[in-house]
Amino acid sequence: MIITIINGDMQPAPNEFASYVSELLSQLQKNITVNHYQLREMNIRNCTGCWACWWKTPGICAINDDMDRIFAAIMASDFLIFASPIMRGFTSSLLKRMTDRLVTLLHPYIILINGECHHRKRYERYPDFGLLLQKEDDTDNEDLDIIRVIYDRFALNFHCIQRFAWLTDQHKTKEIAYDTHNI
Amino acid sequence: MTLTIFNGSPRRHKSNSTLLTEHFLEGYHSIREGENIRICYLADPRMLQENLEVFNQSEYVILIFPLYTDCMPGLVKEFFELLPVKDDSPASVKLGFIVQSGFPESNHSIYVERYLKKLAQRLNYSYLGTVIKGGVEGIRSMPPSMNKKVFKGFYRLGLHFAKNGEFSGEIMEEMKNPVKFNNMGLIIFRFLKLAGLVNYYWKSNLKKNRAYRQRNNKPYGN
Repeated sequence: MIITIINGDMQPAPNEFASYVSELLSQLQKNITVNHYQLREMNIRNCTGCWACWWKTPGICAINDDMDRIFAAIMASDFLIFASPIMRGFTSSLLKRMTDRLVTLLHPYIILINGECHHRKRYERYPDFGLLLQKEDDTDNEDLDIIRVIYDRFALNFHCIQRFAWLTDQHKTKEIAYDTHNI
Repeated sequence: MTLTIFNGSPRRHKSNSTLLTEHFLEGYHSIREGENIRICYLADPRMLQENLEVFNQSEYVILIFPLYTDCMPGLVKEFFELLPVKDDSPASVKLGFIVQSGFPESNHSIYVERYLKKLAQRLNYSYLGTVIKGGVEGIRSMPPSMNKKVFKGFYRLGLHFAKNGEFSGEIMEEMKNPVKFNNMGLIIFRFLKLAGLVNYYWKSNLKKNRAYRQRNNKPYGN
């Protein structure tokens, strides 16, 4: 089993979130292969909406940066963890910037899912994912619900399932590691 | 009123968001002739400081962006993270959004609408609402007659805004249609699919770029 953690924390370590993720990493690494991508240390640019990945070089993004490594890691993984402190009520802009680029992994053609338009798969299967979030000072239940629901929409678009949305202050790294092993 | 329009499209001037803004402003200026409306492009990182200052000085702000993975594009989120919380009470500055998407149904955009409303509250802005318009990708390649209704809608939206300082609830409802396909919509979709028209836009561009045979490429495995 291969797990990839895509970390959208924008603050340099050491910080509370970084310590949490490194503890989780050491728990997970006891039994499985874990990749950890620290987005702030990588060159990830904004999607420009050029559609080259759909109609010029199908499946390949025109931007030459570190996304290439993430595309390869995602497609080789059994499970993904999107990790981010909540900022202004949502995951970080850094994580979102990476997420926008994932259209490259889809096909432009449109199909109906539950009577709704979606882009069809480019690949046979896409890994399921979980969210790991750290609350900000004013995070309330509505914020958490908004995030979960938007990531459920992401799951629908990417033909996969959101398996959990965990909070650093409510879940011990051991529990997460245990549950992740059982996915 | 000082109205500023923030354009959150990564395609900047060449975006569908720009095109819709032009029609909105045409309607706006039909009432408030000659009023200077500033348009700021969030995709230009060199303008960041200036964009933040303009945002803070505006009485009315409309932010238009394309839907990216059923949410705002990363660069729009980045801007949200930098906006200061207003300290006036009650909230005096007004903030509204226009979300446009490629898919025809507005159902894709209603989840981010909930976020935007909460964001306006969080920043202590008075929330003007979120206009949702689907079916926008590809409008540049359509003949003008096909887009008449869309452009007219934005013209009317701008006209109403100039008169009343708000989005018209009635026009917003019209634009939101269809939220999801009804049975007739599904029948039409299946018919268009059989006729090869659903993916015509993609197929013709793939062919134009001599990439049609590579359309199913899987460069990253399985």
